[in-house]
Amino acid sequence: MNILRMNADRLTILPGAPEPIYRQIGSQLRRLISSGQLPPGEELPSVRDVAVQHAINPMTVSRAYCQLEAEGLLTRLRGRGMVVAQGGRCVLPTEQRLARLQSELAEVARQARELNLPAHLVVQRLKSLLEDSE
Amino acid sequence: MNAVVHAQVSSNDPIRCDRITKRYARKTVPHDVSSQTVLHDVSLVVARGTVLGLIGRNGAGKTTLIRALLGLEQPNEGRAFIFGEPSLYLSDAAKQRIGYVPQQLDAFAWMRVGDMLEFVGRQYPRWDREFVELSLARWWISPDRRLASLSPGERQRVAIIRALAVKPELLVLDEPASALDPVARRDLLREIVARAAESGTTVFLSTHIVSDLERVASRVVFLHHHRLVVDAALDELAETHARLTVAAGTVAFPANRIPGEISRRFHGDGSITLVIARTCGTDWPDIVSAPGVRLDALNLEDLFIEVAR
Repeated sequence: MNILRMNADRLTILPGAPEPIYRQIGSQLRRLISSGQLPPGEELPSVRDVAVQHAINPMTVSRAYCQLEAEGLLTRLRGRGMVVAQGGRCVLPTEQRLARLQSELAEVARQARELNLPAHLVVQRLKSLLEDSE
Repeated sequence: MNAVVHAQVSSNDPIRCDRITKRYARKTVPHDVSSQTVLHDVSLVVARGTVLGLIGRNGAGKTTLIRALLGLEQPNEGRAFIFGEPSLYLSDAAKQRIGYVPQQLDAFAWMRVGDMLEFVGRQYPRWDREFVELSLARWWISPDRRLASLSPGERQRVAIIRALAVKPELLVLDEPASALDPVARRDLLREIVARAAESGTTVFLSTHIVSDLERVASRVVFLHHHRLVVDAALDELAETHARLTVAAGTVAFPANRIPGEISRRFHGDGSITLVIARTCGTDWPDIVSAPGVRLDALNLEDLFIEVAR
């Protein structure tokens, strides 16, 4: 059987950000799961792997995993660690996924207005950022 | 309340200290009998598996606190314990469970790196020779070089290798990153994290590189003017600590200390900023929602700067 395992370096950790690291991990995983990029059955990297890869505290990682387990998004499998839960939540429709970015986009729009930037330049920059990471 | 706190404290916590005060006699002025307080009434319990970051500005008393915890310095008042044993009278068995990277690294300067590590290793039953060899190779340090000939960064690495090779249950590092470049620092952080994840190693680490602590620490304590002024679980920091900004001319704001206040700064424009703390799950005092008062989340760096100024 072909077991998929997510790589620890797919997570992005920003130590100085206002959002605590365990929440950064949680929200990234939620997004990856709700978009189907982490399909049911895919294994998560071990707590140790994430901790060592990003030089972050292991308890922070397990706290994020436990929270997602409690939400039903992850399942703990004996001997295999955490996997994305089967059928728990299917891939969310585009509209709902877009809604999750609403407050961030509103904030970008607000700051763009404060800077008096024309909309097309902001959209252009956002577009190139989106294409960059692909 | 106290009884409850004590009931949760296991008697063989890796580190415990009760109300430590340390004073040094002033030697600069002859016949001066006054003394200078370096630590004032510091109490601390560090549970197993904690990665605790100790922050404070230079001269805040960080090194003295570490030395008092380890029994290398006798406090004037209060007591320290390591694994439940009085720090001043540690058994050999307890000492063997500790790895310590001091700030001053001048011991054994005449020896060769390999000989020193061999010599030290004989005193530790769990000494990890393989780890020593791998680490020296990884950090490009020849065992044939004399310690005195190493750069400060290389000596610091040797001290770190030495502390980790004992497979410590308690790892104490006093400013370990001061002479390390960013790559070596990241290596060290990863090693600390791996030990904590694999063996539940308790780590006590002093530094003023706040971003390092934001990554690896589970708990942060802050020594300021010789007292512990902040003690926070890092995951909950945004929840438990906040900055209040009081606009200039806000009449309603009390001149006295408000509940949970840690620090207060007055600015040239007449505004005030405060750092306040609450326990998880409780409410902020009413004053935070008064007109002219703004409440913001703050990260560790902000907290450090607000409190230490």
